[in-house]
Amino acid sequence: MAETLGAFEQAVLLAIVRLGDDAYGRAILKEVQARLERDVAAGAVHATLERLEDKGLIASRLGSGTPVRGGRARRFYRLQPKGLRALNDARAAVDSLWRGLRWPLKGSV
Amino acid sequence: MSTSATPPGWAETLLRVVLGPGDLDSVSGDLLEEYRESILPARGQRRADLWYVTQVLGFVSPGACVGGALFGAAFVARTALDWFAPPSDFHARANVSTELGVAILLATGFWAAWRSHSFVGGTIAGVAAAVIGAGVSLVGAAALLAVRHDPQTMAAILGSGGLGEVFTLPLMMVLPGLLLGTVGGLAGAAGRKLHSA
Repeated sequence: MAETLGAFEQAVLLAIVRLGDDAYGRAILKEVQARLERDVAAGAVHATLERLEDKGLIASRLGSGTPVRGGRARRFYRLQPKGLRALNDARAAVDSLWRGLRWPLKGSV
Repeated sequence: MSTSATPPGWAETLLRVVLGPGDLDSVSGDLLEEYRESILPARGQRRADLWYVTQVLGFVSPGACVGGALFGAAFVARTALDWFAPPSDFHARANVSTELGVAILLATGFWAAWRSHSFVGGTIAGVAAAVIGAGVSLVGAAALLAVRHDPQTMAAILGSGGLGEVFTLPLMMVLPGLLLGTVGGLAGAAGRKLHSA
């Protein structure tokens, strides 16, 4: 059975998918902030990346540094087959929950 | 865009302490890149420095905040029990609350060191949890006192050590926080090393 993903984990994984070969820490942070339309702490993204890597959903490799980074290496992330399955399952679960309903919901609650 | 502007040195040092060696370059590089390329040009030096410090504290504080909140809540609960349902012998309660406090600070240190791969992360988290816990305890005790201060309650307060103890004891928890955070941190760093091996 694939991993069950939280909403923030999905946001991070989808940022990695969107960024492709450019998916490194800062780019992922900015993509997540843009999609969620709110400030997100770098530590929260880092903790999530670490957790996803521990679960085998993503893999990482170190790249080269740049002058603006003081020569410090970038860590690039790539989705793994297990991560792809988890994302597909998450989307299927949401689709299943919404099937038969019109969005946006109308009426008084 | 500047490639020479630098964030506060002490915050960089703190980041080095709480991050594992495998993450140090990439994470500090990400923060430095964002600081120089986006934050500094948009916000100026002072607010950019504040942003950087906030980000660094984000790597230290999640576990410390939870630990501190639990530590403070345990102290307030014990205080409420002593004031509103005073026992004839405080020993059993004292033992339970002491052991609970020790467990919370040890766990906070363990968790922070596990996350950072460094026992110093546990030390910092232990101190931070004790400081946060002291704040929660003082506010909680003041709220309890504001809610109930009838003669019976005041007599119970006096019998349990007095107001002085309630409002000074939390402030004395920083040293135990340092020691227990370090012990938990040593265990957490060692556990992480074994787990990664």
